[in-house]
This record gives sequence, structure tokens and C-alpha cells, in this order.
Amino acid sequence: MILRPSREQLWMILWGIGRIILGVGLLMLVPLVTSLAFREWNTALDMLLGFLCCLIFWMFTEAKKPRVRDLTWFQGLVVVSGGWLVATLFGAIPHWLSGHFSSFLDACFDIMSGFTATGLITIQDLDHVSHGLNMWRHVLTYAGGLGIVVVALTFLFAGTAGAFRIYVGEGREEKILPNVIRSARAIWMISLTYLVIFTAVLWVTMIREGMPLMRGLLHSLWLVMGAWATAGFTPQALNIMYYHSFAVEMITLSIFVLGSVNFALHYAIWNGRRKEILRNVEIRSFFVTVLLTTLFLSIGFLREGVYHGLDVFLRRGFYNLISGHTGTGNTTVFSVAYLKEYGYLAVFAVTTAMAIGGSACSTASGFKGLRMGILFRNVRQEIRRIFSPEAAVVREKVHHLRDIWLEDPVVKNAFFIILCYCAIYFVGGLLGMAFGYPPHVAFFDSVSAGSNTGLSAGMLGPTAPALLKIYFILSMWAGRLEFMAVFALVGFFGVLVKGRGARRK
Amino acid sequence: MSSRPAFFLLACSLAVLLVSLLTGGYCLAQEGLSRGSEKWPEGDRISIRDLIENLEHYDGKVVVIEGEVVGDVMRRRGGAWITVNDDPYSERSLEEGGEFAGVTNIGIGVWIGLDMAEQIQVTGGYKSKGDRVRVVGVFHRVCREHGGDTDIHAVSLEVLEKGRPIRHALHWWKLLLAAFLSGVALILWRWRGIRRPKEIEQKLDLG
Amino acid sequence: MVLRPTGRDVKAIGWGIGRVVLGVGLLMTVPLLTSICCGEWDASLDFLVSALACLTFWLSMEVLCGRHEDLTWYQGMVVTSGGWLAATLLGAVPHWLSGHFSSYLDAVFDVMSGYTTTGLFLLQDLDHLSHGMNMWRHLLSYAGGQGIIVIALTFLFAGSSGALRIYVAEGKEERLLPNVISTSRAIWRISLTYFAVGVAFLWVALIREGMTAGRGFLHSTWLFMGAWSTGGFAPQALNLLYYHSFLVEVLTLGIFVLGSFNFALHFAAWSGNRREIWRNVEWRSFMVTLLTASLIMSVGFGKKGLYSDLIMYFRRGLYNLLSAHTTTGNSNVYSVSFLKDYGFPAMAAVMMAMAVGASACSTGGGFKNLRMGILFRSVRQDVRRILSPESSVVEEKIHHIKDTWLDDALVRGAAFIVLCYVVLYFAGGVLGSIFGYPPSVAFFDSISAGSNTGLSAGLVAPAMPAPLKVFYVFSMWAGRLEFVSVFALAGFLGAFLKGRRARGA
Repeated sequence: MILRPSREQLWMILWGIGRIILGVGLLMLVPLVTSLAFREWNTALDMLLGFLCCLIFWMFTEAKKPRVRDLTWFQGLVVVSGGWLVATLFGAIPHWLSGHFSSFLDACFDIMSGFTATGLITIQDLDHVSHGLNMWRHVLTYAGGLGIVVVALTFLFAGTAGAFRIYVGEGREEKILPNVIRSARAIWMISLTYLVIFTAVLWVTMIREGMPLMRGLLHSLWLVMGAWATAGFTPQALNIMYYHSFAVEMITLSIFVLGSVNFALHYAIWNGRRKEILRNVEIRSFFVTVLLTTLFLSIGFLREGVYHGLDVFLRRGFYNLISGHTGTGNTTVFSVAYLKEYGYLAVFAVTTAMAIGGSACSTASGFKGLRMGILFRNVRQEIRRIFSPEAAVVREKVHHLRDIWLEDPVVKNAFFIILCYCAIYFVGGLLGMAFGYPPHVAFFDSVSAGSNTGLSAGMLGPTAPALLKIYFILSMWAGRLEFMAVFALVGFFGVLVKGRGARRK
Repeated sequence: MSSRPAFFLLACSLAVLLVSLLTGGYCLAQEGLSRGSEKWPEGDRISIRDLIENLEHYDGKVVVIEGEVVGDVMRRRGGAWITVNDDPYSERSLEEGGEFAGVTNIGIGVWIGLDMAEQIQVTGGYKSKGDRVRVVGVFHRVCREHGGDTDIHAVSLEVLEKGRPIRHALHWWKLLLAAFLSGVALILWRWRGIRRPKEIEQKLDLG
Repeated sequence: MVLRPTGRDVKAIGWGIGRVVLGVGLLMTVPLLTSICCGEWDASLDFLVSALACLTFWLSMEVLCGRHEDLTWYQGMVVTSGGWLAATLLGAVPHWLSGHFSSYLDAVFDVMSGYTTTGLFLLQDLDHLSHGMNMWRHLLSYAGGQGIIVIALTFLFAGSSGALRIYVAEGKEERLLPNVISTSRAIWRISLTYFAVGVAFLWVALIREGMTAGRGFLHSTWLFMGAWSTGGFAPQALNLLYYHSFLVEVLTLGIFVLGSFNFALHFAAWSGNRREIWRNVEWRSFMVTLLTASLIMSVGFGKKGLYSDLIMYFRRGLYNLLSAHTTTGNSNVYSVSFLKDYGFPAMAAVMMAMAVGASACSTGGGFKNLRMGILFRSVRQDVRRILSPESSVVEEKIHHIKDTWLDDALVRGAAFIVLCYVVLYFAGGVLGSIFGYPPSVAFFDSISAGSNTGLSAGLVAPAMPAPLKVFYVFSMWAGRLEFVSVFALAGFLGAFLKGRRARGA
């Protein structure tokens, strides 16, 4: 018995979305100030226009004041998934005005890529982009990355969706906003601290590597934002290759590894529970999968014989593998290298790493370490169950902050989400093949988009067909929100069309 | 759920299937119609493997193949189907003590006239080596006449070498092995017979 | 608390495996008689030797392990998986003696392919093979196919892993054999009836198409056995292409589609419950996936433009697609055509169909339609759950013979098995790529082996590397027994090594 949402509820949802758009508009003030500081008047105007559009939308949504100012759980989900889409449209305004995109669709693609911390780009002539626009690109990915953590902590793992029931106990909470505010505050505190520290470190490095003072500061700020959000945006078209610096690579590597760690784990460590690092299932799972994929990568490199030596392996191979595994997308090779220099096996290793992804409740995406751990434990349980006396109850647990017993709903949801990821990876690969891309390139880029990584073997760029761009915008969005928010939105429209009307109270 | 939605589902699926067939078959594939078969000067003999691996190259051209006729001569209205193999086994089959070639058979269907079919006396199999023939014909990657077969329509067929029966020498070591195994089996059978009463006794004891 | 297997367990397992091998030996009398009738003395000697070897093995097991009245569930699992391996090793003796295999491994590969109704083969010079040997190849595929249904009905869906719990109620039954016997009796009755009808039709068709009566009879028998068991073996190297006959193709198509139905559905339809056919979840799921795959295929064919009329689309496209979807592997195109004439999207459609596979409790492999249905309903349930008010309980059910409510345990089991298949397919594809095959070919053949289909895009050949052969044998076995076998054997060995010894019984 599903009820059609009332007019009141619709306004509530719109109000929520309006709030998000207001947030986007406020974010635009940062690049606005930047471009004013660097006297980039055109860019400043673009930002101003974008800001005004957001403001107007917000005011429109505020026009009808709802009586209650709090959302239910379901409304919250619709706000998140719908707001994500609307924010993409509004965020794309400065992009589109900048003249670096050949269509509004491209601009939307880049914004979605930014908000979902993916890192695929269709921007053209990146090396001549203004500081203001670069600031906007990186700020939105930083904010998007942290935004998803807030969403994950409050929604994805609390409700039916992730249903890990790790952060909240049984049942959903009716009131969403207080929760959101609490987790958001903590996340921003952690993130800003890291931002300051790493920017300082990177700045020094940049100056050492021969950059001027001011550009060094901007670049290090942007690199930290891109890496911490595991997005992989950089201010130059050559990505990390631009810097030709081992030190920069190692620093960004550690930033995105840290960024891909579960924020709940960050809390725990900040609160002094250091032993948690060793016991945590996600950390363990991450190590195992990194080890395995590194093994495959090295076998692949040995067979192909292009990259020799440990330092070359570390910089051209391992760096990109970890960048893929954490869902970042910073890269130190040309995208054509995946096709021509890596060899199939190494490409598979990177593809697998991307598909698995980082930790839950982090800025990383993909299957997530927690789910891999559950999968592994489930296999063990199956084996043990076959061999136990009929009456015995076989139980397994995973350790994530506390011990969690593998119960049917937990395992079911983990598997279900993994299968959903497999499906979007596969459909994307198929679609790419239908447009004539070679299978491994199509699958590489499809996995990259679905897992919000951002490495590309050459399919996704400004020249990709429009249909592919639309699919991959949706793929990034669905992968980022772990499908549930997407189902909520789909269901919401379904209900609008054919749900039963609520009886008057 | 009543059966009405089920029929609806079925009807829908059949409809969409039909549409997909039509769109797939006709509308999108118009370019397939424009390709005509191009006459090509009669060349030297080519191997069937070469033919299959480069089917886009030989499509519609006149080709010459040589090989052994295997299986059946299937006579139908307007002609007959034969299968011609030109793998190493068509020279010397495994049954004749030939070498392993690391492949399964490599052959192709040839559509021949009924008059040509008369010439073929022996087809290859376990007990016989088929006639060795030389076929000149048009190769079709996707034959429109035969529902998309990959085949050759023969223009001429010539029997190069008559087929012959393959003799199988009896392997004596297998006979000896069989005798030995029968002996072992017989002993074990007796032993089993002896053990059975013991086991029953044990069971009775336990009971 | 896993117990180390006791001496009695080991003896019971040995006895069970001996029984399985005896069955193989008895089966060999059929080809033995065939070759005697056809005057193939050398071939008949091969079968005599092999039958005697099986007999000897059985007798020595009886002598060593004693006699047992019944097996427990746990012993039965190990007998199933171990017996499969033993039967493969001994069943390969006639293959090996025939001199058509360049190594014993190749012979084992072919026998495993037969038992698991896969249909890949490494046999060389098939066109000069004796009738007796052809009878053996097809018979073991037929028997293996019926055998797996018995196993599926008694084990796979009763136990923890398949966890469908549709055929048996809660809990495992202690006594196994009476169950097995009653199930297998019913299965053989259905199969043999279809056999008589199918062979008669095929015989008439083959004679019409210009075969002699004697050869026509043998060929129709073999074709039926190959198609009904969804094995896909045929007595000539060109497979169905050899017959150049629309009629034969339509008949085999009908046979393997029937063979891919759930036997429980066959039971129901035979006992008058005809409406079941329309309501059954597997049938519906089959239609949906078939439709999707054929749509993709028509798009692919359209782009390629080679198969350009309705007859060609049906014969070259739909026939192979259905052969793939029912995991049969009969094919009327050259394997190179999948790569060159089909084009990537159509090839991917075939791969998708193979991966999804046929019905549960049939001779088909792959994910199985039942699981697809369960997963689909599970998505629906999740969406509805999100939309519903907090307190309401959302239930979904699937209809398979009777209505079954979806609970988390059911979905968990289904999702787990599907994931196992995905991993198996992927591992095989990667391994193939390691050995230098192009990815599309490697994945095609890997899916084909893992889902017990038997179509090949050209990887499986006598010259393929030995490690790959070994993996494929494993893949066919694991896929066929739905991974339960893998877990059972792994657990059995694990329990041997480190299980706790049972306290004195």
C-alpha cells in the first residue's frame, strides 16, 4: 500500500533541493573571489551568473513555506538523488559560460564527474583555463566528495539501502536533519585539518620542484582537493605527469589513500582507538586486494616488458593501480598507455582494482572493502555450514569498529549492491562496444565511471558520442549513491504516476 | 495473479520479439543487400583454414579447394550437400596411424549438383577414407540461398583419388589387458563374497 | 565446530564413489554393443577394457570400504563432487584408448565436458571416429545431464548454498538414497519418453535431408542426446552446420529448449498443471532475458549488416542465441564467425545469454532463471520498501510451482551463487588473456565453460596451453555443481587437516 505524496510533501522535497542548490551557489563564491583576486573579470562574471541562478532557484523553492522543517527518511533520499541531478544542472552554468565545453551536456558531464568525485573530464583546452574556473572544478569535487560521506553516514548505511546497521541500531530514524548536521560537522573538521596540513607540505614540495610561489600554492591546494576527494582532478591536462616529480606523486598517493579510508575509522582513530586500524575488515580487505592486483600488475609488466625497474614500476604502475583502487583517477601515464603499454593483464589488474574500490563511507566508490570482507566471510561460512552437524548454527562475523554478525539481511544487501555495480559496469562496457570501442577499453572506462575512479583508456572524452556521455553521467550518479537513492527517485516518480492518493485526514 | 497478465506478458514479448526481428533483419541491415558477388579469376588451390580465417576477403570469390569427402552425401531437391575436409587427417587419418595435428577437423560444406554427386563413391569415416576431390566454386561468407550458411557452391567437381577402406589391426595388448582385468575382477568378486557374511555378523553383534 | 571426518565417513564416501564408477562401467556396455553391432572390433575392445577397469575399481572399493545402506547428507555431498572426478578419470579411458587424443588431459577435458553437458571438445579428427566412440560421447553427456538433475533436485536446492528451499522444507534430511531413487525414476521416465519421440522426428527429418536410414538413425540418436542434455555434442566436426538443414535446426532447437526447462516444471505440466507454464517465474524470466539479448543482437547484426533477412536472422542468429541461453552449445556457424561476422554487440548478447543460462533443476548451467527472477523481485521489494511508510511490512513472492515468499536468506543464497559465477567467468577470461588470447575470445570461451554451454569463439582447441585446459576442467565442474562441490571438497580437505577429532563415538 503505497501512497502518492501529497502537495505538501512535494514542496518539502523541493525545499530540500532548494537548500542544496543554495549550497552550490554559496560554493561558487569561492571561485568568484578567486577570479576577482586574479582579475579574471570574465570568469568572475560567469561565477556571478551561476550564483544568481542558484539564488533565484532557492528563493523560488522558499516561496511556499512548508509547515514542518524536517524531512522523513524517504523524502531525504529523494532530495539527495534529485538534488544531485539538479545541482549538476546549476553547477554546469559557469562551466558552460566559460566556453571550454562544446556542449552543455559536456559541462554537465564534468560537473557530475566532479560532484561524484570521479575525475573523468570532457573539458577542452584545460591548460588555458582561468584560475577561477579551476578553483570551481576542484572546490566542487572537494565538496561533492565530502557531501557523499555525509550522505553515506546518514542514509546509505543507516536504512534499508546499505542496511549494514553499523552506525544506527535497528530501524530508521524519523528525523534526518539533526543527524546530517552532526556528521557533517565532524567530517568537515577532519577534512579541513588534512587540507591545511597537506597543502602546506605540497606547497613546499612544489616550490622545491621549481614552481613560482603563488602558482605553487594554488596547484597544491587543488591537488589536495582532487586527491582527498579521490576525484583525480588536476589543473593541467597532463594530470600528475605534468609535475615530473616523485615527491608530488608520493604525497598525492598518501592523500588519496587516506581519503579512501572510512570516515568512521578516521573518527575512531582521532578518538584514540589506534588498534582499530589493524583489526578493521576494510583495511585488511584493502591490503589483500592491493596485494593480489599488484601481483597481477607485475606479472603483466614482466610479460609486456615496457616498464623496467622498481622506480618505474612504482611510479607508472603501482601509483596508477592505487589511484584506481582508491577510486581516485590521478594518473602518471597517457590514457593510450593503458591500451598500448600496459598489456591486457595489467589493464585487468587496474580494472579489477577500480571495480573493488575503497572503503565504505569514504569518498571512494566501487564494491567497497566492507562488502569484499563480507563476501569472503560468507564463503567461509558456506564451507563450514556444509561440514557441521545438522543442528549446529554456523556464524561468522566481520570486524568494523565493532563485531558484526553476518546475518541474512546484511549479506543479502552486500551482494545485491555488488551485483548492481557489476550490472552498470557490464552495461556500460556493452554500450561502449556497441559504439565500436574495443572491449577492454570500453570495459575499462565503464568500470572507471561506475566506480567513480576517473582513469580513462581513451573512450570517455570530449569526442565520445552523446548517448555514451548521458549513460555515463547516470552511471557515475548511480554508482556514487549506491543505487538505493536512485531506486528511491525512480520509485518516487512511479508513485507520482500511479500511487494511490492519500485519504484526506 | 490471474493468467491474464501472463498472457499479456507473453503477447508483449512476442510482439517485441517480432519487431526486433524485423528491425534487426531488414531495416538496419540494408547495406548487406548492396554487396554483390564479384567474379574473380580462377586461382590456385587454397586451404580451408585460410578460407575460414579470412572469410571477409574471399567472400563471393571463386575458390579452389582439395580434400577428402567425409560423412554423407545428402541429396536434396536441386542438389546435394557434401563436407570436404583438408586438414592433415584428410591425408592420413588418426585411424590410419596418422600424426596428431593439434586441431579438430577443418572442413566446409559444399553444395554440388546431383550429377556431381554421382561421381562420389566413398565418404570418409571410421572404416573408410573418403574420395579425394577438387572443387571449384563460389565461396559465400553468408549464403543468402541457404539461410546464411558459410559454404561453397561448386561449379565443378573432380575426383582426384578414389576412397579406400581403413583396416584396423587388433591391438593384442588391449586384449591381454582385458584378460588381466577380468582376472582381478573375478578375484575381487570372490573376496567380496567372503567378506559379506562377516559384516553381517558384525552388524548383528552391534545390534 | 567442524569435525574431522571419521573412518566411517571415509569408508562410506569410498563406497559411494565406487557405486558411481560402477554406473559409468554399466553405461559403457551401450557403446560396447554399438561397436560390436557395427563391427568395430578395435573400438569394442577399448570399451571392454574400460568397463572392466570400472568394475575392478568398484569391487576394490566394496572390498576396502565395506557395504553401506545409506549415506548422510554430508557424505552425499562429498560423494557427488568426488565421484564426479573419479567418474571423469575412468570415463576418459575409452577416449584415451581410441587414439584420438594427444594427451590424457585432453581425454579428461572431453569427458568432463560431456558429464557437465558443456560440449567443448579437444578430440581430434572427429570425422573419422568410430560409431561406438560417438555413442559413448553422446551417451555420457545424456547420462551426465540426467544425473545432474537428480543431484540438483536432491542436493543443490536442498542445502545451504543453493538455499532455495523450494523442493524440500526447512532442514536437511538425514536419509539420502530413497530421495535420490524416487527422483531419478521420475526423471528417466520423462527423458526416455521425449527421447523416443524426438529421435523419431529427427530420424524422419534426416532421411528427408538425404541421409541413409542407418546413419540417419545413429545421427538422430546422438543429436537428440546432445541437444536434450543441453550438451551440444554432435557426431561431426562441423556440428549443426554439417546438416545444412532448416528442419534439423528447428527440431534440435525445440529439443534443447524443452531440455532446458526445470524438471519440476516438466513434472507439473505432465501431471496436468498446465497453467503453471505461464505463471512460472523461470519461464517469464527466460522470456525477458531472451528478448533483451535478441534486441541487442539485432542491433549488432544491423550494424554489421551481414545477416540481413529473417531466415538468416533466425538460423544464424536466434538459433545460436537460444543455444547459448539454454547453455547447449549446438552451433551452425564457424567459431570464427562470432568474432568476425557477429560484431561485438551481438557477440556480447550471446555472452550475456550464456552467462544467464537456463532453468534451475535442468541440464542447463549459468546463473539460472530462478535466480534472475529472485533478484528482480528483490529489487522491486527494496524499491517498494523505501516508498512505504515506516511501519508497513513489504513482502514479495515468486511463483515457481507454488508461491514462495522472498526472504533475505533466499535472496542471499541466490546473489551469492550469481556472484560466484561472475568470479568464475572473470577469472577464466583473465587467464585466457594472460595466455595471449584477445579478451573478447577469452571471455567468450570462459563464460561458455563456466556456464556449461560449449560454444567457442576459437580459444578451446587441442593446442591450447595445459594450465588453461586444467582451469577449464575445473570451471566446468564447479559451474555444473553450483560451487557446492568446490566448497564441499575444500571443506572436506580442510576438516581433514585441522578439524577437531570427534570424541569417542
